[in-house]
Amino acid sequence: MVPVLLILIPLITGAALFAVKQEATAKSIALLASLLSLALMLAGMSGYIDAAQMTYDQPWLGGINSRFHFALDGMSQLLCLLTTLSFPIIIYSTWNNRYDDSNRFFGLVLLSQAGLLGVFMALDALLFYFFWELALIPLYFLCSRWGGERRIQVTIKFFIYTFIGSLFMLIGLIMLYFKAGGSFAWSDFLNLKMTSGQELGIFLMLAIAFAIKMPLFPFHTWQPDTYEQSPTAVTMILSAIMAKMGVFGLLRWLAPIVPSATFLWGDNFATLAVIGMLYASFIAMRQDDLKRLVAYSSIAHIGLMILAIFAPSYSGIQGAMIQMFNHGINILGMWIVVNVIEQKFGTRKISELGGLAQKAPVLTILLVIVALANIAMPLTNAFIGEFMMFNGVLGSTATKFGLAYTIAALVTIILSAVYTLRMIQRVFYGETNELTSKATDISFNVKLSLAIIVVGIILIGVFPKPLLSLTSEVSADILGRMNLK
Amino acid sequence: MNAIILSAILGVILMFSGIFVTSKTAIRNIATAGMALLLLVNIAEQGGFHLFNVNTHNMLVFSKFGLLFNSIAFSATLLFFLVSAKDITNVGINAAEYFALIFFISCGIAIVSSFNSLLLLFLGIEIISIPLYILTGSDKRNLKSNEASLKYFLMGSFSTGIMLLGIALVYGAKASFSMEQMHSSINAGRNAWFYAGLLLVLISMLFKVSAAPFHFWTPDVYDGAPTVFTSFMATIVKAGVFIALVRLFDMSFVGSGYDWQLIIAIVTAATLFIGNITAIFQQSVKRMLAYSSIAQAGFMLFGVFSQNDFSREGIILYTLGYSLATIGIFAVLIKMKDYTFEGFNGLARTEPVLAATTTIFLLSLAGIPLTIGFFAKYFMLASAVKSGSHLWLVIFAILCAAISVYYYFRVIQSMYFKTGLAETEPVTPVFRWLLAGMAAAVIILGIFPNLVLQYLYF
Amino acid sequence: MNLFFLQNAVSASSAVNYLPIALQVLCAAGFVALTLGISPFLGPNRKTAEKLETYESGIHSVGNARQPVAIKYFLVAILFVLFDVEVIFFYPYAVNFRELGWNGFLAVLMFVGFFVCGFYYIIKKGALQWED
Repeated sequence: MVPVLLILIPLITGAALFAVKQEATAKSIALLASLLSLALMLAGMSGYIDAAQMTYDQPWLGGINSRFHFALDGMSQLLCLLTTLSFPIIIYSTWNNRYDDSNRFFGLVLLSQAGLLGVFMALDALLFYFFWELALIPLYFLCSRWGGERRIQVTIKFFIYTFIGSLFMLIGLIMLYFKAGGSFAWSDFLNLKMTSGQELGIFLMLAIAFAIKMPLFPFHTWQPDTYEQSPTAVTMILSAIMAKMGVFGLLRWLAPIVPSATFLWGDNFATLAVIGMLYASFIAMRQDDLKRLVAYSSIAHIGLMILAIFAPSYSGIQGAMIQMFNHGINILGMWIVVNVIEQKFGTRKISELGGLAQKAPVLTILLVIVALANIAMPLTNAFIGEFMMFNGVLGSTATKFGLAYTIAALVTIILSAVYTLRMIQRVFYGETNELTSKATDISFNVKLSLAIIVVGIILIGVFPKPLLSLTSEVSADILGRMNLK
Repeated sequence: MNAIILSAILGVILMFSGIFVTSKTAIRNIATAGMALLLLVNIAEQGGFHLFNVNTHNMLVFSKFGLLFNSIAFSATLLFFLVSAKDITNVGINAAEYFALIFFISCGIAIVSSFNSLLLLFLGIEIISIPLYILTGSDKRNLKSNEASLKYFLMGSFSTGIMLLGIALVYGAKASFSMEQMHSSINAGRNAWFYAGLLLVLISMLFKVSAAPFHFWTPDVYDGAPTVFTSFMATIVKAGVFIALVRLFDMSFVGSGYDWQLIIAIVTAATLFIGNITAIFQQSVKRMLAYSSIAQAGFMLFGVFSQNDFSREGIILYTLGYSLATIGIFAVLIKMKDYTFEGFNGLARTEPVLAATTTIFLLSLAGIPLTIGFFAKYFMLASAVKSGSHLWLVIFAILCAAISVYYYFRVIQSMYFKTGLAETEPVTPVFRWLLAGMAAAVIILGIFPNLVLQYLYF
Repeated sequence: MNLFFLQNAVSASSAVNYLPIALQVLCAAGFVALTLGISPFLGPNRKTAEKLETYESGIHSVGNARQPVAIKYFLVAILFVLFDVEVIFFYPYAVNFRELGWNGFLAVLMFVGFFVCGFYYIIKKGALQWED
């Protein structure tokens, strides 16, 4: 029952919010609903709820043999925890942002949460596809309605990009359906006997969808524009959670199902990932807009996860798993800071800011910790994930180019230190100017949100074991299917 | 048989009510009640209850598939009457006759959904076409309507001639009009006359469903005809002809070993391409919908292309989903003062219900999950994947589906994200409720398509 | 002799089959030629300018062809064609009058019923009203 409740809470609340007229009430209801799903998720993970309640399996479409099948295995738990944790933080940290028709805004936000949770829990391919699209529709409306100046063109580009990807995925899933003898069940997709040509076809169809979503170079062109033009709360959803949909897709629906094609084509995708990382890092260094800077840094970080998955080993996959979570909360922290700056000064240009540390010391301290995590300093959570991934790529028996990949990826880590620290230096240190001289420190809601994230960063940084053991079984299974250790 | 006879009788009744009944409201009510009765009688026949016992000498065969299709077509027409009856009576002075013609078209649809002889196919297609020529020109004082009607009539007559020639060739080759006869002797000698004849029949049918390269009449006719009738033509009538096409192919080409699949694949690809690409450049929503209907016809052609269980289920769902959505959008369009995209600017502020329901209909046309349009497309694509050949067509189709998002979403962008004061004719609360009901149906069937499909098997 | 040809036509299947048709064509053409040929000799013969003008259905066929013609003209014409064609259905009935019996009679009665309905409809619609 837990999966169904997890989806229904945001779904029903989100739909109901359209009827709520008062802004403050709508906001509070949305926060409560997201906290409720977080509580449910935590209760489910801590063992208070019977394990049998963590799956749900009911018939849906008799004719084509598709079922309402949700389950919360280790990887799903990790990502659902990320989702349910992020939404309260997103809503609370942007508490003071003003939106027209805010009831609709929060309604759509909750609907997208329902879609995202469904994606992470579905074990039926058609159901997965359903939620994959459902998560997209509310975000389309959110970006186009409340976004920046060029929002309409940018969002339709985003939508068409991802829609093409998902249609390819649909074809791939249909092909698997016929191969599996008329079943959409994930478990029936495993161990299918296919020729290498068929496997390759299905692999490419699915991989395009995931590559666009993550995004992987060269399918990334929608991403910086969309991140920039969306309202920041929506950018948080897009980068903290939605980008993980693609990575999750690779780990659940691609690598275990078409393992030999993944193995054969691994080098191609790993190379693309490395190119993307370098490319995004170099561009990030030249950005003057805070949002675009974080957007490009996100491409670089996601690229490392893609690399670890396509040059696989146990350590690398485990690193990618935990890094999905880490990147989620770290980037959330970055966006919160961007949002504070944008709300306060009405600009995101680095060149127009400066000297904030004198006026907002708390913000600066919290940001520096988040930024250190972003560049994977030891004792922060990202260090654990990225170290494991480097270790994994270097030791992967699946690729001959492990060393080259590792060196290139290490360069991007250095670059990320360059652009992140430079941004901090320009924005927070130095002399105040006319704009920033009247700045005040952050309000309580931002403090609390950032504090939660910082606690998370340090906690996972020193004690990552619970999260790692959560996904160890899934990682070992994926590797086993690829005949790797 | 129930539906064929009753719809003809109802048509005559409506004709006479034009003489004896002066109130337009009364005529509307008679027509709506008549359509409800027709639907009821057809459902009764699905349950095995026959009003008339006519020996058709095997020229008509009433299968579950055909009857289910009739039910769907009649339900769609009933909905069409409910939301747009007022606009039908406002087209001109001969209100009752318009309804009568629609009943005659229903009769034609009931014939083509169950024909078993090429003669009956021809009769059915003509019964559908001739009233349409009249309906297209029913806005007598409008030059565009006249032009559309004449164009449609001339082109339609040509295609009729081609069909007759084809039937003649088929008869010459097989010495029979019967479909079963053709099916049983299909491999008895590769008879060139037979295939030439079928090809001519195919061309004529493709003309009627506005598939490329026989689509040139469509935009002008759909644009020129009074908008209510465009709505009817683009949905129910088109689906009716598609059923005929599916039936024809089901029984004639399958197993022939000829490369007919390639022909259909090329036509499908051309239709998808031309429909979608041209729709992008339209400035008027009505014309955009005309091209989109060509594009949707491309997807429906998958039902002819693959010929398996999936395609049969798909064409049923497609008919339903496409008709529901398109009738809904046209019903809103009629109420608009300005048919261009700019005319929709800010509709979400002035008429939120209309905007929300139109959005759902558009999402359904684009094939987004949670709407019936998704399952319609899903079944079509799955049928093509199952048939195993010509995978390029499937990939081409999804690229076109992605293109279609662009122009469907332009309407959504206008309604929600652009500022303006969209002007509409006054709309009644009943109209809003009806639209909301249709949108709800689109979503419910989008989650549980089995609600409709189960009737195919029981 | 005539009888002989007809009997032959039924039994054999060759070009001879078409002999009766050829005979009929010959008779028809001969009749036209004969009547046209002897009419100048039988009647009075006055030549006037009016008579030599071309005309069609009582209308001068010289001048602008694009002049509007009353729509009633077409209406009556098309209705005539319609009902005229429907009458043709009586011929097969007349040939099989005895064999079809009462069932056939009822069917034709129904047909005539529809026929009358249509006629009633056009009268009520004012299609045959000559003055507005």
